[in-house]
Amino acid sequence: MRVPKTLDLFAPQAPERPPRRAVPPPVQPVQMRKTPARPSQAPLWLAVHLPQRAQAADPVAPRALHSLAVRAQRFTPRISLAPPDAVLLEVRSSLHLFGGVDGLRRTMAGECAALGLPAILTFAPTASAALAGARAGRAFTVLEAGQLAGSLATLPLAALCWSPELIERLARIGVRTVGAALRLPRAGFAQRFGAARLAELDRLTGRAAEPRERFEAPQRFRRRRELSCESDSHALLAATLRSLLEELSRFLAARQCGVLALECRLWHRQAAPTRCVLRLGTPLADAARLAALFDERLRMLTLPEPVRACELRAGWPVPQPMHTGGLWQPGERGGLATAPGVELIERLRARLGPEALETLALVADRRPEAAWRAGPPASASAPAPDAGAQAAVCPARRPLWLLPAPRPLRQRRGLPRWRGALHLEGEPERIETGWWDGGEVARDYYNARDGRGRRLWLFREREPPHRWFLHGVYG
Amino acid sequence: MSADGQRRNAPPPSAARTDPRLEQLLAHPALWRAGSAARGAVWPSGFAPLDAGLPGGGWPRSGLIEILPMRFGQGELQLLLPALASITRRPEARWCIWVAPPLQPFAPALAAAGVALSRLLIVRAPMRGRRPTSLWAFEQALGSGACDCVFAWTRHAPARHIRRLHLAAQRGNTLGVLFRTREAAGEASPAMLRVALEPRGDGARVTLLKSRGGARGALDLIWAAAAHVPQRMP
Repeated sequence: MRVPKTLDLFAPQAPERPPRRAVPPPVQPVQMRKTPARPSQAPLWLAVHLPQRAQAADPVAPRALHSLAVRAQRFTPRISLAPPDAVLLEVRSSLHLFGGVDGLRRTMAGECAALGLPAILTFAPTASAALAGARAGRAFTVLEAGQLAGSLATLPLAALCWSPELIERLARIGVRTVGAALRLPRAGFAQRFGAARLAELDRLTGRAAEPRERFEAPQRFRRRRELSCESDSHALLAATLRSLLEELSRFLAARQCGVLALECRLWHRQAAPTRCVLRLGTPLADAARLAALFDERLRMLTLPEPVRACELRAGWPVPQPMHTGGLWQPGERGGLATAPGVELIERLRARLGPEALETLALVADRRPEAAWRAGPPASASAPAPDAGAQAAVCPARRPLWLLPAPRPLRQRRGLPRWRGALHLEGEPERIETGWWDGGEVARDYYNARDGRGRRLWLFREREPPHRWFLHGVYG
Repeated sequence: MSADGQRRNAPPPSAARTDPRLEQLLAHPALWRAGSAARGAVWPSGFAPLDAGLPGGGWPRSGLIEILPMRFGQGELQLLLPALASITRRPEARWCIWVAPPLQPFAPALAAAGVALSRLLIVRAPMRGRRPTSLWAFEQALGSGACDCVFAWTRHAPARHIRRLHLAAQRGNTLGVLFRTREAAGEASPAMLRVALEPRGDGARVTLLKSRGGARGALDLIWAAAAHVPQRMP
C-alpha cells in the first residue's frame, strides 16, 4: 500500500522516494515539496544602539529608549529594552513587509533620526550578538547562525559590557576579542571567570536560548512636557500641545485605535493645574484635527498664572474602524460618509459643549411632549430614512414648533386669551393617554389664531379646573 | 399651492411674451441677460408662483438668503418646508443644520411634512459673555461643506457679518438661510435674496425685497398643509 502523495508535505526532511515508473510523476507534489524551503523562521534580532546615551549618564535615557520602543512597535510586537543604550527588535517575520534588511534598516534609521537620536543598527540571529555588535559600533548584518562566529570574532571584549577588572584579567592572558574568548576551553573558562560569563558567551553564539523581557507599552497615553519658559502665550501652548498630540497620534496608530476623551493639564507655579477636557463623538487619532479642536478650547481658557508644563492624558484607546476610501466625493451620489460632517460636529461640540448639538428622533407616542426624543448626533453616516413610520404616529396636523413646556393662558368666560383674544378654529383633537407611566394627559387640543394672524396650538385640560395652555406654534 | 413645483430654471416672466424663436435664441447658454444673471443651481421651492419669481426658479443652492417674517414663528418654516423635505430625502443628502431655533422644532410635524429627521441637526448656541455664539456656529456650518442647508435665527446681524456668512456659504456650497425679524428690512444687506413674509389667511404674503436677477413684488401663497382637517382620535 502506498502513502498518498499529499502526506509528503509532513515529511519534508526525508521525503519518501517515489517508486520508479515510466509515467513522470505529477507536478503537484514537487511544488508542495518546495514549501519547507521558505526562509528559515529562526529569530533575527535588530539591535538599535544609541551611542550618545551610553556616553553621557543622561537621566533622559530611559525616556528616549521608551519612545524609541513605542515607535518601533510598527515593525514588530517583539521588542525588548536593553538599558541604558539599546532597543532590541525581533524582525524575522517583518522583513518582507519593510523591503528586507536594507529597507528595514533605512526605515528604522529614519525613525531614529526623527527622534534626533543617531543610532547604530545591527542584525544578528541572537539578541546578545546584535547588541554586542551594535555596542562595538559594527553595523553588520548576519542572517544565518552559521555566519555569526566570524562576525563576532573581531569584536572587542568591551562590547560585552563586562566589568573592567574582568576585561583586564582576560587581556593579561592575551584575550582581547570575543573570538579569542570563544576559543578558550569551556571548562577552564567557567572555572576561572565564572559559569555566568560562560552562559553569556553561549547566549552570544546561540548555543543557549536567551529569554528576554518583552517591552509592554502602556495602555493609556500620558505625557508631560515642560515649556522652555513660563508662558501664557497661546501660540507656544498650542505648539507644545501639538507635538504631544503628534506623539499621541503615533501611539494610537500603533494600536489602530482612536480616543474618545482627552485631558490637557496646564501646570502652573502656584495655582492648581488648569484642566481642559475634550470629549469626542467618534474615536479620533488624527493629530491635526485634535489640535484644531484643542485650539478652540485653549482660546476659551482663562489662565490664573503662566504655564510651566503641559501634560496630555488620553482615555482608553478605542478600536477605530479603518476607513475605506470612497470612489465618490461626499455629496455626490453614494458619497454618504461625509468626513467634513464629522469634523464640523467635533468642532461645534468642542466650542459649544457636548449638549449643544442634538438630533431629533420620533417616538411612537400620542403625547406631543413624548412623541420625539433628542439625542446626540451618532455619526455622519446616514441611517435609513425613517419617513415610513410617521403616518401611523401622526395622523393629525401638528405645529412645527413646540414650546419647551406648556404655557398657562389666562382666560375670560372660559375662552383662552394670549396677547388679546384668540379665535378657536376647527374641531378639537382629544389626546388622553399615558396612564401607565405616570405622565397621564387628558387634553383637548385646538387650533387657534391670534390677533396678528399667528396660528397656535392650544389645549384645554379635561380635569375640572379646565385650564388652557399654549403648547405649539404653527410656523 | 401644493408642493409639486419641481421645475428648474423657469424662464423669467418677461420672456413669456416674446417671440418663441427669439426665446430659443436667448436660451443659448453663452448668452447672459441682466434678468437672468443670477441663474445658478437652485432647489425648487415647492411653490410654483414663487419659483417663477425667484432668480433661477428656486432657492439658490449656494449663498446666503434672508427671510424676514413679522415675528419668528409666522410661516418662515412653512415657506421652506417643501424644499427642505426634498433636500433631506435625497440619498446623497448632507446635513441640514438649524442654529439657535427660537422654539423646540416638533419632530412629528417635520416628519409628516416629509423631512428626513436623520439629516437634521439642531445646534443650541449658548451665550458666551454678552455675545451669542450663533453667528460663529452659523459660519462654521456654512463653510464646512458638510451641509446642504443651514438655518439660523438671529436678531442682530451687522452687514459685514452677513457678507462673511455669504462668502462662507459659497465656499461650502451651502444654502444659508438667515431668519431675522421685519425690523431688519430697513438695513442694507449683502444677502443674495431677501424675502419678507407676513401671515395672510391660511398662507402668507411673500414680498421679494431684493432678488438679484429675479422679479420683485409680492405674491400670496397658501400652505399646502392648511387644507388638512384635524382628525379625532378613533
